[in-house]
Amino acid sequence: MKSKRFEVLAARPVNQDGYVKEWPEVGLVAMDGPNDPKPSIKIENGRITELDGKTREQFDMLDTFIADHAIRLDGAERAMAIDSLDIARMIVDINVTRKQVLDVTLCLTPAKLSEVMSKMTIVEIMMGMTKMRAREQPANQCHVTNVRDNPVQIAADAAEAGIRGFAEMETTVGIARYAPFNAMSLMVGAQVGRPGVMTQCALEEATELELGMRGFTTYAETISVYGTEPVFMDGDDTPYSKAFLASCYASRGLKMRFTSGTGSEVQMGYAEGKSMLYLEARCLAVTKGAGVQGTQNGSVSCVGVPAAVPSGIRAIAAENLISMLLDLESTTSNDQTFTHSDLRRVARSVPQFFSGTDYICSGYSATPNYDNMFAGSNWDAEDYDDWNIIQRDMKVDGGLQPVQEEDVIKIRNKAARALQGMFRELGLPAITDEEVEAATYANGSKDMPERNVNEDLKAIEDMMARKVTGVDFVKALDKAGFSDVAQNVYAMLRQKVAGDYLHTASIFDEQFHVMSAVNTPNDYHGPMTGYQISEERWKQISDIPNAIRPEDI
Amino acid sequence: MDQELLMKQIVEQVMKAMQNDSTETKSSYASNGKVTADNYPLSEKMADKLKTPTGKPFNSISYDKVVKGELGPEDMRIAPETLEMQAQVAESVGREAFAGNLRRAAELIAVPDDRLLEIYNALRPYRSSKQDLLDIANELDGYKAAVSAALVREAAEVYEKRGRLKKD
Repeated sequence: MKSKRFEVLAARPVNQDGYVKEWPEVGLVAMDGPNDPKPSIKIENGRITELDGKTREQFDMLDTFIADHAIRLDGAERAMAIDSLDIARMIVDINVTRKQVLDVTLCLTPAKLSEVMSKMTIVEIMMGMTKMRAREQPANQCHVTNVRDNPVQIAADAAEAGIRGFAEMETTVGIARYAPFNAMSLMVGAQVGRPGVMTQCALEEATELELGMRGFTTYAETISVYGTEPVFMDGDDTPYSKAFLASCYASRGLKMRFTSGTGSEVQMGYAEGKSMLYLEARCLAVTKGAGVQGTQNGSVSCVGVPAAVPSGIRAIAAENLISMLLDLESTTSNDQTFTHSDLRRVARSVPQFFSGTDYICSGYSATPNYDNMFAGSNWDAEDYDDWNIIQRDMKVDGGLQPVQEEDVIKIRNKAARALQGMFRELGLPAITDEEVEAATYANGSKDMPERNVNEDLKAIEDMMARKVTGVDFVKALDKAGFSDVAQNVYAMLRQKVAGDYLHTASIFDEQFHVMSAVNTPNDYHGPMTGYQISEERWKQISDIPNAIRPEDI
Repeated sequence: MDQELLMKQIVEQVMKAMQNDSTETKSSYASNGKVTADNYPLSEKMADKLKTPTGKPFNSISYDKVVKGELGPEDMRIAPETLEMQAQVAESVGREAFAGNLRRAAELIAVPDDRLLEIYNALRPYRSSKQDLLDIANELDGYKAAVSAALVREAAEVYEKRGRLKKD
């Protein structure tokens, strides 16, 4: 006889997900792996000669880079001598300041950092995030893509995402050659929605830099680093090439962060028998050593791997916390789809959502799941009200706010028209009134008329050959009668001259006033300190359109 | 915490508070002549000290000039002096590695876009011989990009040791 209870359970979404038992030899272990090295450091003549059990002669490329660049030597031997449990306790102790914690953790080796994490429960890790994230106020990032690379839809979705509260927006492509259109549509739409939103387009490294140099984007984040040398080589880079690339971005006034995450080394078959968290700690050390201001981490597109092993989702939260312990901007994933279970996908986001991080999602899909070209997201446009109501239930600021339907329709329409005007002035294939109308009311690309792809691609090639830049977008928008949008695009270009937003965890408010870990640092040290939701902000979060008003009863 | 350390921290905090009180004119440099977090954001507090790489005062750039074509993309870029100031801001808040990155970046402003992309590609694994990399380092020295040149020389050594140079 079969149990009817088990029959019901077997059909539940959570049982459609894949799970695997720990297998440390191939790296299928989330944290605290049996083959992880014991933390150690030796400094001779101002140089690290031993790191996590290896002598300099035994160092691979990553060890060398980390030893030479990533660890603060002054005080390192003293910090490494502190018991990992004591460091874990400092992290959750409200009487130890963020700065005092950093004075220790900036001196630690990757093995030590991951050992500290193994002493912390998920709730303690969350307390650590609240205290250790770099910026005072949390924020959020979204993805704006669609399966057809429709530029009008990108502009409209970006504008809507702007009024919904996202501080950053990321696009990518279905067809690589569409990238310039996607990037410029995102920028225009975002600046229609909310002045000061930063935008990026995820592409192959060199192409991504080129678009940034030409003013099509304002920042970059898909600069991947890996935790073992063979995987780094497979990724066609080295810590040195990536450090150089980081400086290329800053030299053009562009903000950037690296990307890494647990599970990537197992997925690519070279985990060297180490735990996912230890390898991620190495990635973060490389990031720190390259002098990059921040990271997008939290398994990201490899989330299926840690999610399949015991304590894997805890390890993802732990890797976010390690980035904060290295004083990096934390952009905490919560992106790629990994589960069939709605319960599980919420639970996966609770640590970052409730603790607050510099960017809780990276990103939240501003489209239906089917239009997300980053292989879907853990949160999408159809979850907007769920996110807003969870914020209201828990009184947390997850970076979004409820909006009115008429405001969304209006802003989507304006973005579509602004792009229509800009395309016309730049001599690009026409955006028809029919497309504007469709984008105004669309949910996804199924609601959009098809464009002539060949014509678009030919026009893109021509536009790139003409050396069109962000300056031309400003002129075209002005000429098309959208001078307010043009002013916002101009204001973003102007920020590149000053470079204030290159700093750790920067975002802009709608007056283009920068808020980063320099001028608005996180100073949490216990209840009623750190970021407090203002009365005005609480009203914004709590005022959902579908709540009954007592005076109406 | 021992008493001495505690006293030291209290004194430091008092000194810091006094410093904050006395920095009424926020756009002044710190006593050692360095830019600090107090001067940040530079676009608001030190706008009069910033310039474009083409030598135009930051305060002189405007929307109207862009629209009229009086300013081009070459003006809307960051200048080496500005990146140095931002590096000093980073140092003032304990971000030394980040400051180092900004200093490398300041040096690389002079390198044209296309060449910068080529050098990045040359630093990828198996792309260059040791001599290729040393030549690039010398070229960077020509741009007075000493920190970046040192990074490339360091890479040449490590790639050789780890067998990541171009294979014939």
